Amino acid sequence: MGAHKTISLADEKMQYEFTAKLKSRLMMTLGIGVVMLILGIILLSLGFGETHHAAEHGKEAAKHSAEHGHHEYYWFKRVIANLWLNATFFNGIALIGVFFLAFNYVAHAGWSVIIKRVPETFGYFLPISMGSIIALFLLQIAMGDNYTLFHWTHAGITDPSSKNYDAIIAGKSGFLNVPFFFARMVIFFALWYGLFRRLRSFSLQEEEIKDFKAYLKNPVIYNKAVYTSAIFLVVFAVSESVISWDWLMSIDVHWFSTMYGWQNFASWFVSGLATITLTVILLKEQGYLKSVTKHHLHDLGKFMFAFSVFWSYVTFCQFLLIYYAHIPEETTYFNARLNLWDGYYKFLFFFNFFINFAFPLLVLMAKEAKRTTVILKVVAGAILMGHYLDFYLMIMPGTLGDNSGFGFVEIGCILIFASLFIYTIASNLAKAPMIAKNHPFIKESQNFNQFN
Amino acid sequence: MEKKEKQEFLVGVFDNESKLISAIDTLRAKGLKIHDVYTPYPVHDLDVHLGFKRTRLARAAFLFGITGTTLAIIMQSYMLGFAWPMIIGGKDHIAVPDFVPVTFELTVLCASLGMVATFLISNGLGPGKKALMFDPRSTDDKYVMAIDLGKNSKFTKETIEKMLLDNGVSEQPKTKEV
Amino acid sequence: MQMTSPVREPLVLRQIHDKNRKTTMHDVTNDICRQVEAAPNMRWMMALGISLIVLAYGSYTLYRTWFFGIGEWGLNKTVGWAWDITNFVWWVGIGHAGTLISAVLLLFRQKWRASINRSAEAMTIFAVLCAGSFILMHMGRPWLAHWALPLPNTYGSLWVNFNSPLVWDVFAISTYLTVSAVFWYVGLIPDLATIRERATNPISKFVYGLLSFGWDGSTRTWARYEMVALVLAGLSTPLVLSVHTIVSFDFATSVIPGWHTTIFPPYFVAGAIFSGFAMVLTLMLITRYVFKLEPYITLNHIESMNKIILVTGSIVGIAYITEFFIAWYSGVPYEQYAFINRMFGPYWWAYWSMMSCNVISPQFFWFKAMRRNIYATFALSIVVNIGMWFERFVIIVTSLHRDYLPSSWVMFWPTYVDVGDYLFSFGFFFTCFFLFAKFLPVINMAEVKTILASSDEDASVHYAEEEEHAKEKAH
Repeated sequence: MGAHKTISLADEKMQYEFTAKLKSRLMMTLGIGVVMLILGIILLSLGFGETHHAAEHGKEAAKHSAEHGHHEYYWFKRVIANLWLNATFFNGIALIGVFFLAFNYVAHAGWSVIIKRVPETFGYFLPISMGSIIALFLLQIAMGDNYTLFHWTHAGITDPSSKNYDAIIAGKSGFLNVPFFFARMVIFFALWYGLFRRLRSFSLQEEEIKDFKAYLKNPVIYNKAVYTSAIFLVVFAVSESVISWDWLMSIDVHWFSTMYGWQNFASWFVSGLATITLTVILLKEQGYLKSVTKHHLHDLGKFMFAFSVFWSYVTFCQFLLIYYAHIPEETTYFNARLNLWDGYYKFLFFFNFFINFAFPLLVLMAKEAKRTTVILKVVAGAILMGHYLDFYLMIMPGTLGDNSGFGFVEIGCILIFASLFIYTIASNLAKAPMIAKNHPFIKESQNFNQFN
Repeated sequence: MEKKEKQEFLVGVFDNESKLISAIDTLRAKGLKIHDVYTPYPVHDLDVHLGFKRTRLARAAFLFGITGTTLAIIMQSYMLGFAWPMIIGGKDHIAVPDFVPVTFELTVLCASLGMVATFLISNGLGPGKKALMFDPRSTDDKYVMAIDLGKNSKFTKETIEKMLLDNGVSEQPKTKEV
Repeated sequence: MQMTSPVREPLVLRQIHDKNRKTTMHDVTNDICRQVEAAPNMRWMMALGISLIVLAYGSYTLYRTWFFGIGEWGLNKTVGWAWDITNFVWWVGIGHAGTLISAVLLLFRQKWRASINRSAEAMTIFAVLCAGSFILMHMGRPWLAHWALPLPNTYGSLWVNFNSPLVWDVFAISTYLTVSAVFWYVGLIPDLATIRERATNPISKFVYGLLSFGWDGSTRTWARYEMVALVLAGLSTPLVLSVHTIVSFDFATSVIPGWHTTIFPPYFVAGAIFSGFAMVLTLMLITRYVFKLEPYITLNHIESMNKIILVTGSIVGIAYITEFFIAWYSGVPYEQYAFINRMFGPYWWAYWSMMSCNVISPQFFWFKAMRRNIYATFALSIVVNIGMWFERFVIIVTSLHRDYLPSSWVMFWPTYVDVGDYLFSFGFFFTCFFLFAKFLPVINMAEVKTILASSDEDASVHYAEEEEHAKEKAH
């Protein structure tokens, strides 16, 4: 109907309560995650769950037979690879929270104001994810060549006199060298987190406004937030490309693709949108965010739908161009995912397209589907799973080959990062009112109707 | 559409969207059957207020779309895979990734053309078709409500006129025979 | 009813040419039907005359192209594709803004699109026709154009090659042209009905009656119309992306250094939007001035379009840098040479024109004063399109002219026929656009009327004043 009922802000539960129950559950999940990780490590170091094939093993055996305890080499690398996967994946979601905030500011978007506090808390996870990324990187370097995910950090790789010398990697060393890599990482982190805190502080400053009518005549704080958002978007555009090359593309160090940053962005963006949708729905189910109507959910659903298609578009274009031109330097990447190790990753490669493209496309196509919370929850869950898988496919073949798997280590790592992420969001949601009541577009958002 | 008998309509003109909507709601609540409302722009949810059925054009578009997809896949596979198989660029005869662009284009083409054709046919629109205009100002700035007197036999013409005047028409309702 | 924050600028201003009254729906009808109903004025006749002269000269060179063959162009054995394909890609790119404005902005509920979508879409259709004309030109034997389609034939079971990006192009461009034309026409029908009802002269009553398909504006028709618009928008959005993606495949599927790079699809799309919006601005600023449409195409509209130009221009800039960086990073010497050659080779002037026009010039739009300055916008919109032409020229010619065999290194220089064929497309484009602007409503009246209800009174006064101020400064 034309005029739907608008819920007054007075009826909203403004203060989020981080219940002791949720807290203890999260702590328990974290504990289970740690236990599973440790259990996984023990099992792997004893030699369980290794999947290398006989043929491959035969070749490697000669090399490694003298090397005592090569299990350790595998389990350690597997743990690092999994932690790296989760850290980068969740870092992306946290960053997308800030990105969502920023592009909504710049676009002067009205509809999203009511859910603004949700992505606003995501940025608080950046210190944890970035801390893990920095620590993991340093750990790899410290542990030496057999343990690192990055081939280009190996000793002597750029030294023509060394037996490790690799001319192609040496050619890239102007960019791929430890100090520069590390510096980029730290600078980007400082910029993201600094700009995020600025945006958050503007948002909190708006809460203090006494005279909303006068503020509407000259929304100073809002204008500042728009300005900061524009800066963030520029920083984001550059840094997102660079970190995609750094953190993920440089794993397959010989390989290169100009599209890689876009694909990665799409993957992160869809996951971020799914996380926002899921959080909003869960909060609504607990009695918060009453003003969120099916019109808002419809928009979130449309976003997930559209950017799932966008992800498929960039991913498919990248694949098609490399498949079509058939240049050996480029096809290696897809060869590892389709043919190598007896097609070890083949199923996952196709399943990736199913869960991230076909599933959201078909399920979210109908209008009513985008307004039904159950369907949205299922799709958001599938998208998060699907894009975890996408990251898995980006990281594992280049680091573990056919020694990857899905067991205690993987589940443990997911549980650790997910519980930390939810803990961060929940504790920061409790620190500010659930709805930005003095945002200049708050009335628009409350009365938001898809068709006006 | 051929009409044998002349129908008599009462035409009410409104100059404001919200007056129109509230009038529709009140008149329908009183049991008056409104033939149709003519507006200069799409007034959203007007069909809901009038109690019309929701359009199913989107579903038609989906069906046309999958027809296009199927046609494209069959056409390309037949032509390059069976009718005259050739090896091109070292790829399979039926090189699935290469068929994606044309499949996509044909899906969109069939869905759009099919839906627009359905739209024109279901509305009786087409070159040379005559429009039934109760008041030409409905294409400018007025909202025109037509009430079929033949279908509202439980009210007299005067009652309906009074009902319209009480509910915000901007001028004296007129009678029009079609 | 929707609520609009007073922070937002109104989308329709007061009647600044007529006592500064509030614009009513009837004003919308009058202002937009005016130029359709009035006799053509001198300025319009002159503009059309010039376009026709250019078209006539272009037709002469086109005749030479077809009669004497492609040898009339400056192509050679190494550079077998140059001006024709550059112009093709350029026009297709320009043809992106119309559908983008009507489809993508509809999905994003950007209401300001209402007053520009009609002419932007018309521009799209003409631009795509211009692009198509270069394909026909290069065919040499245009009467065999239907061979590009998979038609049953008597040459054995001979079909087109669906593995070829050029065949994908045939499908993409023809689908795009068809769907854009249909989308545009469906939107035109209600406005044509308005003109029909106002028409006094029997000829126009007949013609517009025929064109308006018997539209009556009943509730059911509008409800279905809205659904059609929404679904067409949903279909056109991926379509618009796919068209330039497939155009980029013409190059990117090859193994030529400088052409084969995976970023091409999204980067071509961004570039297309960039040049398309620039062309829309060029045309709209003229139309707005000539037809006195300032209340409908406001500084706010211009600013919004400039923001899109800034965003897409910056995306294009990042893509240039990415390409350049990855060429170095790849370690492939051919790839590296292709990029060095672009910058410092014999076509350095083309490269640096592209860089300054496409990457540096839009950065001026970071400043609000520039985004709202009509003259700066007009100048930059032309600069952007020059830059985008050079972009295609750089990609195409610099990648071809020095191939793997140094003995076949050559330069490409256009002949007067190359230039004439390009002029042909300009003549055609502007002839079509001027005819459109005279005989059809340049603004979607129905959609602007939808907006009128929600525009805010006080804010409207303020911005009308600013508009007046801008005009005063101009004098």
